Amino acid sequence: MPAVSIDTFFACSLMVLLVLSAMSATARILQPLVNTMASHEAAQRFGEIAKHVLLHAGRPADWGQDGQTVPEEFGLADAVAESPYALDVDKVSRLNSENIYCLSYAQIFTSLRSPDLSFRIEIKPVFNVELNLTSVIQDSDETIYMFQAATKRDEGSPVSTSLKAFVLAENLLRAYTLQNTGGRVDFNITVPTSLESPALLVVFAKSTCNSRIVSYSVYPLTVQGGLFPRGAFLKLSPINHTLIVKPTSSGAVLTGAYALTFNGLWQLTQTGSNTFRIPEFTDASPTVLMVFGLDSTRHFAEWTVYPQIPIHAGVDFTSLRSASDVYAFEHLVSIGYGIYKCTIFIGGPKT
Amino acid sequence: MMGQNHGQIRVIEAFLAIFIIFSALTISANLVTKSVSPQTDNSLASIGMQALLQLDSDGSLAAYITAGNWSGLREALNLLLPTGVIFNLTIYDSQMRQINTETISNGGSKSQEITLVRYVCTSQSCEFCVYVIYLCLAVAK
Repeated sequence: MPAVSIDTFFACSLMVLLVLSAMSATARILQPLVNTMASHEAAQRFGEIAKHVLLHAGRPADWGQDGQTVPEEFGLADAVAESPYALDVDKVSRLNSENIYCLSYAQIFTSLRSPDLSFRIEIKPVFNVELNLTSVIQDSDETIYMFQAATKRDEGSPVSTSLKAFVLAENLLRAYTLQNTGGRVDFNITVPTSLESPALLVVFAKSTCNSRIVSYSVYPLTVQGGLFPRGAFLKLSPINHTLIVKPTSSGAVLTGAYALTFNGLWQLTQTGSNTFRIPEFTDASPTVLMVFGLDSTRHFAEWTVYPQIPIHAGVDFTSLRSASDVYAFEHLVSIGYGIYKCTIFIGGPKT
Repeated sequence: MMGQNHGQIRVIEAFLAIFIIFSALTISANLVTKSVSPQTDNSLASIGMQALLQLDSDGSLAAYITAGNWSGLREALNLLLPTGVIFNLTIYDSQMRQINTETISNGGSKSQEITLVRYVCTSQSCEFCVYVIYLCLAVAK
Protein backbone atom coordinates (compact mmCIF):
# COMPACT_ATOMS: atom_id res chain seq x y z
CA MET A 1 0.00 0.00 0.00
CA PRO A 2 1.46 3.39 -0.93
CA ALA A 3 2.39 5.75 1.95
CA VAL A 4 -0.02 8.44 0.71
CA SER A 5 -2.99 6.07 1.14
CA ILE A 6 -1.94 5.29 4.74
CA ASP A 7 -1.63 9.02 5.45
CA THR A 8 -5.04 9.72 3.89
CA PHE A 9 -6.65 6.85 5.87
CA PHE A 10 -5.05 8.13 9.08
CA ALA A 11 -6.25 11.70 8.43
CA CYS A 12 -9.79 10.57 7.59
CA SER A 13 -9.95 8.44 10.74
CA LEU A 14 -8.80 11.41 12.79
CA MET A 15 -11.48 13.60 11.21
CA VAL A 16 -14.20 11.03 11.94
CA LEU A 17 -13.01 10.70 15.54
CA LEU A 18 -12.89 14.47 15.80
CA VAL A 19 -16.45 14.90 14.55
CA LEU A 20 -17.74 12.21 16.94
CA SER A 21 -15.94 13.67 19.94
CA ALA A 22 -17.09 17.18 18.98
CA MET A 23 -20.72 16.01 18.82
CA SER A 24 -20.39 14.30 22.19
CA ALA A 25 -18.77 17.35 23.79
CA THR A 26 -21.37 19.71 22.31
CA ALA A 27 -24.17 17.52 23.68
CA ARG A 28 -22.54 17.49 27.11
CA ILE A 29 -22.12 21.27 27.10
CA LEU A 30 -25.60 22.07 25.82
CA GLN A 31 -27.48 19.58 28.03
CA PRO A 32 -27.31 21.76 31.21
CA LEU A 33 -28.35 24.78 29.17
CA VAL A 34 -31.35 22.90 27.76
CA ASN A 35 -32.22 21.68 31.27
CA THR A 36 -31.79 25.22 32.66
CA MET A 37 -34.16 26.60 30.04
CA ALA A 38 -36.72 23.87 30.81
CA SER A 39 -36.41 24.43 34.57
CA HIS A 40 -36.54 28.21 34.04
CA GLU A 41 -39.83 27.83 32.19
CA ALA A 42 -41.16 25.60 34.98
CA ALA A 43 -39.95 28.06 37.63
CA GLN A 44 -41.60 30.94 35.78
CA ARG A 45 -44.89 29.04 35.52
CA PHE A 46 -44.83 27.97 39.17
CA GLY A 47 -43.86 31.51 40.21
CA GLU A 48 -46.92 32.86 38.41
CA ILE A 49 -49.11 30.26 40.16
CA ALA A 50 -47.66 31.29 43.56
CA LYS A 51 -48.34 34.95 42.77
CA HIS A 52 -51.84 34.10 41.60
CA VAL A 53 -52.57 32.41 44.94
CA LEU A 54 -51.51 35.56 46.82
CA LEU A 55 -53.02 38.19 44.50
CA HIS A 56 -56.31 36.49 43.65
CA ALA A 57 -59.24 36.34 46.11
CA GLY A 58 -60.57 33.07 44.72
CA ARG A 59 -64.18 32.20 43.93
CA PRO A 60 -66.35 32.98 45.80
CA ALA A 61 -64.27 35.98 46.87
CA ASP A 62 -65.42 35.67 50.50
CA TRP A 63 -64.93 31.91 50.86
CA GLY A 64 -62.90 32.39 54.04
CA GLN A 65 -65.75 33.83 56.09
CA ASP A 66 -68.11 30.85 55.85
CA GLY A 67 -66.72 27.66 57.30
CA GLN A 68 -68.92 25.49 55.09
CA THR A 69 -67.82 27.11 51.81
CA VAL A 70 -65.21 25.28 49.77
CA PRO A 71 -63.67 27.56 47.12
CA GLU A 72 -64.14 26.72 43.45
CA GLU A 73 -60.98 28.68 42.70
CA PHE A 74 -58.25 29.00 45.29
CA GLY A 75 -56.85 32.40 46.26
CA LEU A 76 -55.82 33.92 49.59
CA ALA A 77 -56.03 37.65 48.83
CA ASP A 78 -58.33 39.92 50.76
CA ALA A 79 -61.13 40.82 48.34
CA VAL A 80 -61.47 44.38 49.67
CA ALA A 81 -57.79 45.18 50.23
CA GLU A 82 -56.37 48.30 48.61
CA SER A 83 -52.79 47.10 48.33
CA PRO A 84 -51.41 43.95 46.70
CA TYR A 85 -50.18 40.97 48.72
CA ALA A 86 -52.77 41.63 51.45
CA LEU A 87 -54.19 38.30 52.60
CA ASP A 88 -57.56 37.61 54.14
CA VAL A 89 -57.33 36.76 57.84
CA ASP A 90 -60.04 34.06 57.59
CA LYS A 91 -58.67 32.41 54.43
CA VAL A 92 -55.27 32.17 56.12
CA SER A 93 -56.82 30.75 59.31
CA ARG A 94 -58.63 28.09 57.28
CA LEU A 95 -55.27 26.70 56.16
CA ASN A 96 -54.38 25.83 59.76
CA SER A 97 -55.16 22.24 60.75
CA GLU A 98 -56.15 23.41 64.26
CA ASN A 99 -59.17 25.18 62.79
CA ILE A 100 -62.29 23.00 62.52
CA TYR A 101 -63.04 24.67 59.16
CA CYS A 102 -59.60 23.90 57.77
CA LEU A 103 -59.48 23.09 54.06
CA SER A 104 -58.10 19.67 53.26
CA TYR A 105 -55.18 19.23 50.87
CA ALA A 106 -57.55 17.62 48.35
CA GLN A 107 -59.91 20.62 48.48
CA ILE A 108 -57.09 23.09 47.89
CA PHE A 109 -55.58 20.88 45.18
CA THR A 110 -58.91 20.70 43.32
CA SER A 111 -59.56 24.43 43.59
CA LEU A 112 -56.04 25.24 42.42
CA ARG A 113 -56.84 23.56 39.09
CA SER A 114 -53.28 22.52 38.30
CA PRO A 115 -53.28 18.73 38.37
CA ASP A 116 -49.56 18.34 37.61
CA LEU A 117 -48.21 20.02 40.74
CA SER A 118 -48.09 19.60 44.49
CA PHE A 119 -47.63 22.45 46.94
CA ARG A 120 -46.90 23.62 50.45
CA ILE A 121 -47.81 26.99 51.96
CA GLU A 122 -45.93 28.37 54.97
CA ILE A 123 -46.86 31.66 56.61
CA LYS A 124 -44.96 32.88 59.64
CA PRO A 125 -43.79 36.10 61.30
CA VAL A 126 -40.69 37.81 59.87
CA PHE A 127 -38.89 37.07 63.15
CA ASN A 128 -39.45 34.72 66.08
CA VAL A 129 -39.87 35.29 69.81
CA GLU A 130 -38.18 32.58 71.86
CA LEU A 131 -38.94 32.35 75.58
CA ASN A 132 -36.56 30.43 77.82
CA LEU A 133 -37.38 29.83 81.46
CA THR A 134 -34.04 30.33 83.21
CA SER A 135 -35.10 29.74 86.81
CA VAL A 136 -38.05 29.55 89.20
CA ILE A 137 -38.02 30.85 92.77
CA GLN A 138 -40.93 29.76 94.92
CA ASP A 139 -41.84 31.15 98.33
CA SER A 140 -44.95 30.92 100.44
CA ASP A 141 -46.84 33.77 98.72
CA GLU A 142 -45.44 34.16 95.22
CA THR A 143 -43.60 32.25 92.59
CA ILE A 144 -41.03 34.19 90.58
CA TYR A 145 -40.35 33.00 87.04
CA MET A 146 -37.19 34.30 85.38
CA PHE A 147 -37.30 34.38 81.60
CA GLN A 148 -35.03 35.31 78.76
CA ALA A 149 -36.79 36.52 75.63
CA ALA A 150 -34.83 36.37 72.38
CA THR A 151 -36.13 37.97 69.19
CA LYS A 152 -34.32 36.71 66.12
CA ARG A 153 -34.77 35.74 62.51
CA ASP A 154 -34.81 32.13 61.32
CA GLU A 155 -31.07 32.12 60.67
CA GLY A 156 -30.36 33.56 64.13
CA SER A 157 -29.61 37.25 63.57
CA PRO A 158 -31.00 39.35 66.46
CA VAL A 159 -33.86 41.81 65.97
CA SER A 160 -34.33 44.91 68.12
CA THR A 161 -37.88 45.03 69.42
CA SER A 162 -40.33 46.56 71.87
CA LEU A 163 -41.92 43.82 73.94
CA LYS A 164 -45.13 43.56 75.93
CA ALA A 165 -45.47 40.59 78.25
CA PHE A 166 -48.80 39.64 79.81
CA VAL A 167 -49.47 37.06 82.48
CA LEU A 168 -53.09 36.05 82.34
CA ALA A 169 -55.06 33.66 84.52
CA GLU A 170 -58.73 33.55 85.41
CA ASN A 171 -58.47 36.23 88.08
CA LEU A 172 -55.07 37.65 87.30
CA LEU A 173 -53.62 40.07 84.76
CA ARG A 174 -50.10 41.42 84.91
CA ALA A 175 -48.48 43.45 82.15
CA TYR A 176 -44.79 44.22 81.60
CA THR A 177 -43.23 46.56 79.04
CA LEU A 178 -39.73 45.63 77.89
CA GLN A 179 -37.16 47.07 75.54
CA ASN A 180 -34.84 44.78 73.69
CA THR A 181 -32.07 46.49 71.74
CA GLY A 182 -29.67 43.60 71.25
CA GLY A 183 -32.25 40.93 70.48
CA ARG A 184 -32.20 39.54 74.02
CA VAL A 185 -33.76 40.65 77.32
CA ASP A 186 -34.15 39.10 80.77
CA PHE A 187 -37.26 39.67 82.83
CA ASN A 188 -39.09 38.29 85.87
CA ILE A 189 -42.76 37.66 86.39
CA THR A 190 -44.52 36.92 89.65
CA VAL A 191 -47.55 34.71 90.08
CA PRO A 192 -49.37 34.05 93.39
CA THR A 193 -48.49 30.57 94.64
CA SER A 194 -52.10 29.99 95.65
CA LEU A 195 -53.33 30.46 92.04
CA GLU A 196 -55.58 27.56 91.08
CA SER A 197 -56.22 28.51 87.46
CA PRO A 198 -53.54 27.85 84.85
CA ALA A 199 -51.65 30.98 83.81
CA LEU A 200 -50.33 31.88 80.37
CA LEU A 201 -47.41 34.15 79.60
CA VAL A 202 -48.05 35.94 76.30
CA VAL A 203 -45.26 38.03 74.79
CA PHE A 204 -45.80 40.34 71.81
CA ALA A 205 -42.85 41.91 69.98
CA LYS A 206 -42.80 44.80 67.55
CA SER A 207 -39.71 45.72 65.57
CA THR A 208 -38.32 49.07 66.66
CA CYS A 209 -37.79 50.11 63.03
CA ASN A 210 -41.34 49.34 61.87
CA SER A 211 -44.34 48.67 64.12
CA ARG A 212 -46.04 46.46 61.49
CA ILE A 213 -43.30 43.83 61.72
CA VAL A 214 -44.60 41.80 64.66
CA SER A 215 -44.33 38.45 66.33
CA TYR A 216 -45.59 36.68 69.44
CA SER A 217 -45.06 33.72 71.72
CA VAL A 218 -47.17 31.97 74.36
CA TYR A 219 -45.70 30.08 77.31
CA PRO A 220 -47.96 28.06 79.65
CA LEU A 221 -46.86 28.41 83.26
CA THR A 222 -46.89 25.38 85.53
CA VAL A 223 -49.32 25.95 88.36
CA GLN A 224 -51.39 23.73 90.64
CA GLY A 225 -52.93 20.85 88.69
CA GLY A 226 -50.07 20.66 86.21
CA LEU A 227 -49.98 21.29 82.47
CA PHE A 228 -52.29 19.83 79.85
CA PRO A 229 -51.60 19.61 76.13
CA ARG A 230 -53.33 22.12 73.86
CA GLY A 231 -56.72 20.89 72.71
CA ALA A 232 -57.20 18.54 75.67
CA PHE A 233 -60.41 20.31 76.69
CA LEU A 234 -61.44 22.65 73.86
CA LYS A 235 -60.74 23.22 70.19
CA LEU A 236 -60.72 26.93 69.35
CA SER A 237 -61.47 28.05 65.80
CA PRO A 238 -61.60 31.77 64.98
CA ILE A 239 -63.43 32.65 61.77
CA ASN A 240 -65.19 35.80 60.55
CA HIS A 241 -64.44 37.61 63.83
CA THR A 242 -66.17 34.86 65.79
CA LEU A 243 -64.46 32.42 68.11
CA ILE A 244 -66.04 28.99 67.85
CA VAL A 245 -65.37 26.77 70.84
CA LYS A 246 -65.76 23.03 70.38
CA PRO A 247 -65.40 21.01 73.62
CA THR A 248 -63.21 17.91 73.31
CA SER A 249 -63.92 16.90 76.89
CA SER A 250 -67.55 16.16 77.86
CA GLY A 251 -67.42 17.90 81.23
CA ALA A 252 -65.79 21.17 80.14
CA VAL A 253 -67.52 24.33 81.39
CA LEU A 254 -66.36 27.74 80.14
CA THR A 255 -65.69 30.45 82.71
CA GLY A 256 -64.24 33.27 80.58
CA ALA A 257 -62.87 34.22 77.17
CA TYR A 258 -60.38 36.99 76.43
CA ALA A 259 -58.62 38.62 73.51
CA LEU A 260 -55.11 39.93 74.00
CA THR A 261 -53.13 42.19 71.64
CA PHE A 262 -49.98 44.27 72.01
CA ASN A 263 -52.10 47.15 73.30
CA GLY A 264 -54.25 45.38 75.86
CA LEU A 265 -56.87 42.88 76.98
CA TRP A 266 -60.56 42.60 76.13
CA GLN A 267 -63.19 40.26 77.48
CA LEU A 268 -65.05 38.54 74.65
CA THR A 269 -68.82 38.82 74.41
CA GLN A 270 -70.63 35.50 74.22
CA THR A 271 -73.00 35.43 71.23
CA GLY A 272 -74.13 31.80 71.38
CA SER A 273 -73.70 28.67 73.49
CA ASN A 274 -70.15 28.17 72.24
CA THR A 275 -69.43 31.31 70.21
CA PHE A 276 -67.78 34.59 71.14
CA ARG A 277 -67.50 37.83 69.15
CA ILE A 278 -63.91 38.91 68.42
CA PRO A 279 -63.60 42.73 68.24
CA GLU A 280 -62.00 44.22 65.11
CA PHE A 281 -58.68 45.54 66.35
CA THR A 282 -56.47 48.02 64.49
CA ASP A 283 -53.39 46.54 66.13
CA ALA A 284 -50.65 45.09 63.94
CA SER A 285 -50.00 42.24 66.35
CA PRO A 286 -51.98 39.02 66.03
CA THR A 287 -54.80 38.58 68.55
CA VAL A 288 -54.23 35.84 71.12
CA LEU A 289 -57.57 34.34 72.18
CA MET A 290 -57.79 32.58 75.54
CA VAL A 291 -60.60 30.59 77.07
CA PHE A 292 -60.60 29.53 80.72
CA GLY A 293 -62.79 26.80 82.12
CA LEU A 294 -63.38 24.01 84.52
CA ASP A 295 -63.48 20.29 83.76
CA SER A 296 -65.00 18.55 86.82
CA THR A 297 -62.50 19.86 89.41
CA ARG A 298 -59.62 20.72 87.07
CA HIS A 299 -59.06 24.28 85.88
CA PHE A 300 -57.85 24.63 82.32
CA ALA A 301 -56.81 27.31 79.84
CA GLU A 302 -56.87 26.96 76.06
CA TRP A 303 -55.56 29.46 73.56
CA THR A 304 -55.27 30.17 69.89
CA VAL A 305 -54.31 33.13 67.74
CA TYR A 306 -56.16 35.10 65.07
CA PRO A 307 -54.91 34.88 62.29
CA GLN A 308 -53.89 31.30 63.09
CA ILE A 309 -50.23 31.57 62.25
CA PRO A 310 -47.70 30.00 61.86
CA ILE A 311 -49.13 27.88 59.06
CA HIS A 312 -47.56 24.83 57.45
CA ALA A 313 -50.11 23.48 54.99
CA GLY A 314 -49.57 20.98 52.21
CA VAL A 315 -47.02 18.39 51.19
CA ASP A 316 -43.82 17.88 53.17
CA PHE A 317 -41.26 17.94 50.37
CA THR A 318 -38.27 16.90 52.46
CA SER A 319 -38.72 13.24 51.49
CA LEU A 320 -39.89 13.96 47.92
CA ARG A 321 -37.00 16.10 46.64
CA SER A 322 -35.56 13.23 44.61
CA ALA A 323 -38.93 12.47 42.99
CA SER A 324 -39.93 15.96 41.88
CA ASP A 325 -38.46 19.39 41.18
CA VAL A 326 -39.39 21.70 44.03
CA TYR A 327 -39.36 25.50 43.74
CA ALA A 328 -39.71 27.88 46.68
CA PHE A 329 -41.18 31.36 46.26
CA GLU A 330 -40.77 33.76 49.15
CA HIS A 331 -43.17 36.67 49.49
CA LEU A 332 -43.91 39.42 51.97
CA VAL A 333 -47.59 39.65 52.76
CA SER A 334 -49.77 41.68 55.06
CA ILE A 335 -52.49 40.05 57.14
CA GLY A 336 -54.59 42.58 58.98
CA TYR A 337 -52.10 45.33 59.86
CA GLY A 338 -49.08 43.06 60.31
CA ILE A 339 -46.38 42.02 57.83
CA TYR A 340 -45.55 38.32 57.55
CA LYS A 341 -43.37 36.04 55.46
CA CYS A 342 -45.10 33.60 53.12
CA THR A 343 -43.22 30.84 51.32
CA ILE A 344 -44.99 28.78 48.70
CA PHE A 345 -43.27 25.55 47.67
CA ILE A 346 -44.42 24.06 44.38
CA GLY A 347 -43.31 20.66 43.18
CA GLY A 348 -43.64 19.57 39.57
CA PRO A 349 -42.56 16.58 37.50
CA LYS A 350 -38.81 16.03 37.53
CA THR A 351 -37.15 17.36 34.35
CA MET B 1 7.68 12.30 -2.98
CA MET B 2 4.89 14.73 -3.92
CA GLY B 3 2.24 12.17 -2.87
CA GLN B 4 3.92 11.64 0.54
CA ASN B 5 3.95 15.45 1.17
CA HIS B 6 0.26 15.62 0.20
CA GLY B 7 -0.54 13.04 2.91
CA GLN B 8 1.40 14.92 5.57
CA ILE B 9 -0.52 18.11 4.75
CA ARG B 10 -3.80 16.28 5.43
CA VAL B 11 -2.55 15.12 8.84
CA ILE B 12 -1.51 18.70 9.67
CA GLU B 13 -4.98 19.86 8.51
CA ALA B 14 -6.60 17.29 10.79
CA PHE B 15 -4.56 18.49 13.81
CA LEU B 16 -5.37 22.11 12.99
CA ALA B 17 -9.07 21.23 12.81
CA ILE B 18 -8.84 19.48 16.20
CA PHE B 19 -7.22 22.58 17.70
CA ILE B 20 -9.81 24.97 16.24
CA ILE B 21 -12.85 22.90 17.21
CA PHE B 22 -11.65 22.20 20.76
CA SER B 23 -10.78 25.84 21.35
CA ALA B 24 -14.27 26.79 20.11
CA LEU B 25 -15.81 24.28 22.51
CA THR B 26 -13.75 25.56 25.42
CA ILE B 27 -14.82 29.15 24.76
CA SER B 28 -18.50 28.20 24.40
CA ALA B 29 -18.36 26.17 27.64
CA ASN B 30 -17.16 29.29 29.48
CA LEU B 31 -19.92 31.35 27.90
CA VAL B 32 -22.54 28.91 29.20
CA THR B 33 -21.29 29.06 32.79
CA LYS B 34 -21.13 32.87 32.74
CA SER B 35 -24.71 33.35 31.58
CA VAL B 36 -26.94 35.27 33.99
CA SER B 37 -29.66 33.31 35.72
CA PRO B 38 -32.96 35.07 34.92
CA GLN B 39 -34.69 33.14 37.71
CA THR B 40 -32.52 34.71 40.43
CA ASP B 41 -32.95 38.09 38.77
CA ASN B 42 -36.76 37.84 38.76
CA SER B 43 -37.10 36.57 42.31
CA LEU B 44 -34.77 39.28 43.66
CA ALA B 45 -36.71 41.99 41.84
CA SER B 46 -39.98 40.52 43.10
CA ILE B 47 -38.95 40.36 46.76
CA GLY B 48 -37.43 43.87 46.56
CA MET B 49 -40.61 45.28 45.07
CA GLN B 50 -42.71 43.54 47.72
CA ALA B 51 -40.58 44.95 50.54
CA LEU B 52 -41.09 48.48 49.18
CA LEU B 53 -44.80 47.83 48.60
CA GLN B 54 -45.31 46.63 52.18
CA LEU B 55 -43.46 49.64 53.60
CA ASP B 56 -45.43 51.97 51.34
CA SER B 57 -48.86 50.45 52.00
CA ASP B 58 -49.29 52.37 55.27
CA GLY B 59 -47.20 55.39 54.24
CA SER B 60 -44.22 54.48 56.39
CA LEU B 61 -41.82 54.48 53.41
CA ALA B 62 -42.52 58.15 52.68
CA ALA B 63 -42.48 58.88 56.43
CA TYR B 64 -38.92 57.49 56.72
CA ILE B 65 -37.83 59.70 53.81
CA THR B 66 -39.60 62.85 55.00
CA ALA B 67 -38.10 62.44 58.48
CA GLY B 68 -34.66 61.60 57.07
CA ASN B 69 -34.74 58.40 59.13
CA TRP B 70 -32.20 56.56 56.97
CA SER B 71 -31.13 54.13 59.68
CA GLY B 72 -34.75 53.12 60.30
CA LEU B 73 -35.27 52.53 56.58
CA ARG B 74 -32.03 50.52 56.42
CA GLU B 75 -33.09 48.35 59.37
CA ALA B 76 -36.60 47.80 57.99
CA LEU B 77 -35.26 46.68 54.60
CA ASN B 78 -32.63 44.53 56.28
CA LEU B 79 -35.38 42.79 58.22
CA LEU B 80 -37.78 42.33 55.32
CA LEU B 81 -35.32 41.18 52.67
CA PRO B 82 -34.07 37.59 52.87
CA THR B 83 -30.76 36.88 54.54
CA GLY B 84 -27.87 37.03 52.11
CA VAL B 85 -29.39 39.76 49.95
CA ILE B 86 -27.27 42.90 49.71
CA PHE B 87 -29.11 46.12 48.99
CA ASN B 88 -28.28 49.71 48.20
CA LEU B 89 -31.07 52.26 48.17
CA THR B 90 -30.95 55.68 46.56
CA ILE B 91 -33.80 58.17 46.81
CA TYR B 92 -34.39 61.01 44.37
CA ASP B 93 -36.95 63.81 44.33
CA SER B 94 -39.13 64.60 41.31
CA GLN B 95 -36.21 66.60 39.80
CA MET B 96 -34.00 63.49 40.15
CA ARG B 97 -31.80 65.11 42.81
CA GLN B 98 -30.53 62.66 45.39
CA ILE B 99 -32.24 63.09 48.76
CA ASN B 100 -30.60 60.58 51.07
CA THR B 101 -27.61 62.13 52.77
CA GLU B 102 -26.35 58.77 54.06
CA THR B 103 -25.70 55.52 52.27
CA ILE B 104 -28.68 53.22 52.79
CA SER B 105 -27.02 49.86 52.38
CA ASN B 106 -26.23 46.70 54.33
CA GLY B 107 -22.78 46.14 52.86
CA GLY B 108 -20.89 45.95 49.63
CA SER B 109 -21.17 43.19 47.07
CA LYS B 110 -18.70 41.91 44.54
CA SER B 111 -21.50 40.21 42.63
CA GLN B 112 -21.82 41.12 38.98
CA GLU B 113 -25.50 40.19 38.97
CA ILE B 114 -27.24 43.28 40.30
CA THR B 115 -30.99 43.69 40.06
CA LEU B 116 -32.50 47.16 39.96
CA VAL B 117 -35.97 47.89 41.31
CA ARG B 118 -37.45 51.28 40.49
CA TYR B 119 -40.30 52.47 42.69
CA VAL B 120 -42.21 55.73 42.90
CA CYS B 121 -43.90 56.69 46.15
CA THR B 122 -45.71 59.76 47.38
CA SER B 123 -45.93 61.25 50.83
CA GLN B 124 -49.21 60.94 52.69
CA SER B 125 -48.72 64.18 54.60
CA CYS B 126 -50.30 67.56 53.75
CA GLU B 127 -47.35 68.51 51.56
CA PHE B 128 -47.41 66.43 48.37
CA CYS B 129 -43.98 65.02 47.52
CA VAL B 130 -42.94 62.46 44.96
CA TYR B 131 -39.96 60.23 45.62
CA VAL B 132 -38.22 58.04 43.05
CA ILE B 133 -36.51 55.08 44.68
CA TYR B 134 -33.76 52.99 43.11
CA LEU B 135 -33.16 49.76 45.00
CA CYS B 136 -30.14 47.75 43.85
CA LEU B 137 -30.11 44.13 44.99
CA ALA B 138 -27.51 41.41 44.77
CA VAL B 139 -26.97 38.01 46.33
CA ALA B 140 -24.00 37.92 48.73
CA LYS B 141 -21.25 35.59 47.53
